[in-house]
Amino acid sequence: MTLPKIRYFLREALQNLWQFKARHLFSLTIICLSFVTVGIVLSLSGNLRDRAKELSKNLTVVFYLHKDAADADREAVATRVRRSPLIGAVKSVSPDQALDRFRTDFPDLRDILQNLGSNPFPASVEASLKDGGIAAEAVLAFIAEVRQSPGVEDVQFSRDWADKVRALGRLVEAAGFFLGGILILASFFIISSVIKLNVLARRSEIEILRLVGATNAFIRVPFLIEGVVMGIAGSALSLLIVFVLVKSFPLYLGGSLGALQELINFRYLHWTQVLGLLGGGGLVGFLGSLSSIARFLKI
Amino acid sequence: MIELTHVWKQYQKSSWALSDVTLTIPKGEFCFITGPSGSGKSTLLKTFYREVLPTEGQVIIGGRNILRIPDHRIHAIRRHMGIVFQDFRLMHHKRVFENVAIALRVLGASPKDLKRKVFIALRMVNLQSKIWEFPSQLSYGEQQRVAIARAVVNNPRILLADEPTGNLDPALAQEIFTLFKEINAQGTTVIICTHDRELIRRFGGRVLALHEGKLHGKDVG
Repeated sequence: MTLPKIRYFLREALQNLWQFKARHLFSLTIICLSFVTVGIVLSLSGNLRDRAKELSKNLTVVFYLHKDAADADREAVATRVRRSPLIGAVKSVSPDQALDRFRTDFPDLRDILQNLGSNPFPASVEASLKDGGIAAEAVLAFIAEVRQSPGVEDVQFSRDWADKVRALGRLVEAAGFFLGGILILASFFIISSVIKLNVLARRSEIEILRLVGATNAFIRVPFLIEGVVMGIAGSALSLLIVFVLVKSFPLYLGGSLGALQELINFRYLHWTQVLGLLGGGGLVGFLGSLSSIARFLKI
Repeated sequence: MIELTHVWKQYQKSSWALSDVTLTIPKGEFCFITGPSGSGKSTLLKTFYREVLPTEGQVIIGGRNILRIPDHRIHAIRRHMGIVFQDFRLMHHKRVFENVAIALRVLGASPKDLKRKVFIALRMVNLQSKIWEFPSQLSYGEQQRVAIARAVVNNPRILLADEPTGNLDPALAQEIFTLFKEINAQGTTVIICTHDRELIRRFGGRVLALHEGKLHGKDVG
């Protein structure tokens, strides 16, 4: 393909985009909305995945002891836990230490403790898992084993949180991709319809091209470029909108969400996701245009 | 050279648009196809550029049976032809320059070559001053001259014209036919479909008369 031909194709495609700007603008809006949905989903699920990863890194197991368990029982549990190769740091917390910690962390609730009259906190052994512990079934077996030790009443394992956040991320991803998929499919059909209208509007011009000896490719390429340009422009615009949303979210909504803010915080997309969305836009445009040309440009 | 051998064309079961047409048009000939409306003039002309596929027979152009060329290769034949229509078939949202240049763009001509050849073609039809106008700004006669410039800009071997003066008054029609004569004088085979017997008489040339799809050849001039 020669340079003059490439220039001609690009000029033709851009002229057509401009000539039928109303329908192209409509098409662009739909593509943009579809990709905004996908962009938000990617941003949100990416954030939830990161959260789950962070929680996984700091996994802790807390073994709570009976209220009347002896200090020796606590130390026995702590020693047993310390010996495990799965465990990193271990901290033995007496009821008094737990009470002090509560007073420091929640100063507003001191009055409640005074009204109770006695220390409600049990002794505990806190253990941090080494990296990768979340995947090991051995950890669960180890926890079950320690739970049988004398004096142990209950176990709290923060893996539940990581699992829940990860599951939420997956749910958001699945729901988002389902919705985004439908919208992208709609974009495909809209591009296809717009190109079909363009083909019909330019029937006489196509006829002239055929008569002066244009190849099929020569006639088709400008339509394909139109589709690709619409797809890429729509997805690029959606990236801009997602960027604005991500930046403005903490300013306008973040405060009202309280602790949830950290969980559903938006982070902008990774550059591979940006390229993926741009490429996806181009591909949807190309395929939409191609399907239309194949059906309505029998040459 | 164009050779048609026992060409038949049937659109509907009951009637034949072309009925056993056999003819030879040598290179460089100036030729008319004439006959009343519905006699098969346009159908015959369309078989030359394979817009119409005969039901039976052979169409050989430049030594090649064009009916055996696959659809996606037919552009190669059309690049050696210029075609002019009664309704001009111009691209109305494009300027005169672009309307003529399109025949060279499909060939991948360089920008320099393209500009030079378009200017020469427009000068030949005396429209070089209207190069940047839109077809809607031109008279019918001028629009037809743009169509002729487009048809000849790539120096075709054959020029086909289907009722090229049907929309023009007699003075403009004569002007257009004079142009066809000039083009023919440069070696291009010119085949014109017309029912204007006065113009045929005035310009002379071989006349292929069609009646109900059957050919009756005679020479005038």
